[in-house]
Amino acid sequence: MVGRCEAEGERLTTTAADMLARLAEARSIAAAAGRDDLVERLDHASSALGAGAETAVAVVGEFKQGKSTLVNALLRTDLCPVDADIVTALPTILRFGRPPSAALTGENDDRTPIELGEVQKHITGEAGQEARAVEIRIDRRLLGAGLAIVDTPGVGGLDSAQGNLTLATLTMAGAALFVTDAAQELTAPEVDFLRRTVERCPRTVVVLTKTDLHVEWRRIVEIDQGHLRRAGLDLPVVPVSSFLRMRAQARDDTDLNAESGFPRLVELLRTEIAGSAAEARVTAARAELTFVAAQLRERLDAEEAAAGDPGLHARYAERARRSESLAGGTWQVVLQDGIQDLAADVDHDLRERLRLLIRQGEEILASSDPRETLQDFQAWAAREAARAAADNLMLLVTRAEQLAGEVAERFGMEARDISATLPVLRTNTDKARQITLTFDKSGMRQFLGAFTAARVAYGGFYLLGAVGALFSVAWAAPLGLLAGVTLGRRLVKAEKERQVQQRRAQAGQELRRYVDEVGFHVGRDSREAVRRTQRLLRDEFATRARELSRSAHAAEAVVREVAALAEPQRRHRATSLREQRLRLDRLAS
Amino acid sequence: MNLLAQTRDLLDRAVAATGDPRLVRARRRLDEPLRVAIAGKLKAGKSTLLNALIGEELAATDAGECTRVVTWYADGPAYAVTSYLRDGTAEARPFTRRDGAVRIDLGRPAADVDRLEVRVPSARLRRHTLIDTPGIESLSADVSARTHTFLNRDGRADAVIYLLRHLHGGDVRFLEAFHGGGEGGTSVNAIGVLSRADEIGGCRLDAMTAADRVADRYTADLRLRRLCPVVVPVAGLLGAAGATLREEEFRTLAQVAALPMDHIVELLLTADRFAAGSEQRRHVLTRVGLFGVRLSTRLIHEGVVTDSAGLAAALTEHSGITRLRDLLRTHLEGRAGVLKARSALAALDACLAPGSPLVADAERIRAGAHEFVELRLLHQLRSGRLTLADDRRAEMDRLLGGSGGGVSERLGLTGADDAGAAAREAQARWQRLAEHPLSNRDLRTAARAVARTCEGIVAGQNQQG
Repeated sequence: MVGRCEAEGERLTTTAADMLARLAEARSIAAAAGRDDLVERLDHASSALGAGAETAVAVVGEFKQGKSTLVNALLRTDLCPVDADIVTALPTILRFGRPPSAALTGENDDRTPIELGEVQKHITGEAGQEARAVEIRIDRRLLGAGLAIVDTPGVGGLDSAQGNLTLATLTMAGAALFVTDAAQELTAPEVDFLRRTVERCPRTVVVLTKTDLHVEWRRIVEIDQGHLRRAGLDLPVVPVSSFLRMRAQARDDTDLNAESGFPRLVELLRTEIAGSAAEARVTAARAELTFVAAQLRERLDAEEAAAGDPGLHARYAERARRSESLAGGTWQVVLQDGIQDLAADVDHDLRERLRLLIRQGEEILASSDPRETLQDFQAWAAREAARAAADNLMLLVTRAEQLAGEVAERFGMEARDISATLPVLRTNTDKARQITLTFDKSGMRQFLGAFTAARVAYGGFYLLGAVGALFSVAWAAPLGLLAGVTLGRRLVKAEKERQVQQRRAQAGQELRRYVDEVGFHVGRDSREAVRRTQRLLRDEFATRARELSRSAHAAEAVVREVAALAEPQRRHRATSLREQRLRLDRLAS
Repeated sequence: MNLLAQTRDLLDRAVAATGDPRLVRARRRLDEPLRVAIAGKLKAGKSTLLNALIGEELAATDAGECTRVVTWYADGPAYAVTSYLRDGTAEARPFTRRDGAVRIDLGRPAADVDRLEVRVPSARLRRHTLIDTPGIESLSADVSARTHTFLNRDGRADAVIYLLRHLHGGDVRFLEAFHGGGEGGTSVNAIGVLSRADEIGGCRLDAMTAADRVADRYTADLRLRRLCPVVVPVAGLLGAAGATLREEEFRTLAQVAALPMDHIVELLLTADRFAAGSEQRRHVLTRVGLFGVRLSTRLIHEGVVTDSAGLAAALTEHSGITRLRDLLRTHLEGRAGVLKARSALAALDACLAPGSPLVADAERIRAGAHEFVELRLLHQLRSGRLTLADDRRAEMDRLLGGSGGGVSERLGLTGADDAGAAAREAQARWQRLAEHPLSNRDLRTAARAVARTCEGIVAGQNQQG
């Protein structure tokens, strides 16, 4: 099993290495042709493909299901704290690094190095230091294969503020492991959470832990599979025993490791998750390479065409002229309008959600005395606010991806139109051009996913965690004086009622203040994200437009040049170009 | 005339005046045992705990979700099953017993059945009727709904044992709904159980210690204390097995214990490995769980127990079921009279028009009976509406009967002490507090009530003396 995994990894790296070599070759051709813009594009592509690219795998689930133990067993470490009672309070990110190190990530993504021995104290929140996450770098093959494992806090359960924050971060994860134990079948809240997880992160695996403790785990697997089927969720269920895996490691026992069920999970992580993420990266690089090759070929094609018919010059000149308008083409309008709609919709969505939250909150307050229910009410407010923010972020991300697709489509259409006047060459170039200009859908999604999701830094979520600090009303108002005066019994009752009213009003004000604060932070972040989306899309396509235009001008120049030559010279040049064209074709294949 | 007698009398008059069948039922209920519902999330171990409490394998248990209909287990002259339907009729149903468990043939969709009643000749059930409920948060929404309806709307249980595996948001919401938040709902009729305690911390031999730690934390949790003031860890499987352990089960375990130690360790590594040995072992495993097997083999291997009776006793001791029984006795049965009277008076309120003389009588009983005053105060105290220093709060809780209604329990005495003197001393202290000019109004009222309780104890002691 281990041997096979290694071979898989080997194959994947070879393809990536192969792609890097091709990119390097294309780079030298582009440099020789004097196309520094294309050189830059290729450099970008190779750095994205090379080191540092990792896929985040979030480990989620109800608390006390063995999430941290699973992470420990998976990575053969004991860094994540495990206890019968205390649970993980801070998200823990485990990524590849040599030598091992650890750091705290603060509110502004600043990193404070900590001792490895101190890690557990920080994760359980015992150290009392404010931080957003704990980052651990260790030297493990699985992490080296391009995975980062994120252990999420179980505090408060799935249906809490924390649970909703976890969901929000899932939008940025490449995959999720949903952990549930063999002691019982899936519950209604768990299936609900799973459904929301899959919406955000389609690559999800259900991991059934603690199979060593429960003899009936096979039946639980069957029952869970039935529940998933009925919920319309088609997810693999992998039963594992973290205990056996740890034991196997201690004894260096391969059979025991096989019995633990982990080899299948590791295999899934390596091939399905790390493997397909690596494949997607190679695909994205290939798309760039094809684009560049098509740009480089254009000049060669033009030369060949001109060699056959020197009268083509007018058409090429026309094309070059039209290509200049591409930078300000209608795709810009699509982008502008789209961004405006998106910003308005996302903003409206957030307002609507928060308005509803206030209304519900006031209903709850009206039916209770805040002095007794304040704690529950705070938890409720934090949970609902986090839910609103998480759902709002989800809307933003889906809409941004959709818009990016629309802009790309329009851009492709316009780019094709420019070349419509050109003669059809009887070579295989049409196919290549087709691919470059329509932007293969999955490749697009990949590239867009990278910027919309990963770069949205939601500071607002950090704030939601500290909800307690916002609610700061002194409930124990000094009533002694008033109550000390002997009023009639009815008066006391009325007074009590009045106090309750006052507390309600006070709590209502607090709620509005809190929601206002949440709305401000989340709104600011989402506006920022929208702006970034717009800028990124605009720059991306404007650059491409410039490159296309430059290619068109280069083609025009070469056609003019060729037209000035005598017939035999033209033929000679065409033959010498054949070699170059073959080289490009090979690269783009 | 004590509280229960007063209530009986009032209900007799109400029945005579109206003939309302609901009042007839409420009156009959006063003479029946206290109704205790066992509730919790699905697979929390409700049926297993019920079996452990009765000491008989009655309720069917399974790895998957099992209980789908609210089922009452009450004392009776012989085993019998009655099915009460939604349309108000009742019918006797045939049943079989497999491995002791009662398997009932419903004969119709579960949705038509309101509840099942299983009569069992049992001394334990003479003190309280136990009600098994389907799990909340079940994926079958109608199953969850049945429990919610049963416990929240019908008010047919006097008290509840709530099973938590760990404290989830859903548990808190359920308990809140059970208490209803109004004056009627109190924290005085709920006991929390940290169930499946043997599985906490990976079924290792120190599982029960870890469970104790978790339960202590829950008991100290302010938010939970308001809803159920005490949480005890219980390993239901062990309790049930301890009550019904069979000779051949002991033999199977003894055979394993006789193996060399290395062998045992390998065998007990996982449930799968142990069960793979033979059908008997698989059976024992489902009966006592992995923790139970590990514990039993160790006890037998070390020679601590030598026969099935010894093992049964050891399992019962480790299960924590004895502690739960004690709590049931002191916290619920000791208060059975007032809890039942409360349910009956609530029924009276629901059936009669407000302002009628009978309702006024009910109000008089409520206001006059010191038991009710104590209950209300206890609730206020536990819900944090009365602010007191911690040690004083604990004493007040105890004096009001929070840990049992008996004299020594209230005074916190250990046998030999003089109850009369202790009660007089407590009375004086609380009287001072009640008259202290710096005490606030709420505290003065509370302290007066506590002093009155002490007075009652003193009077009782004097009568005896």
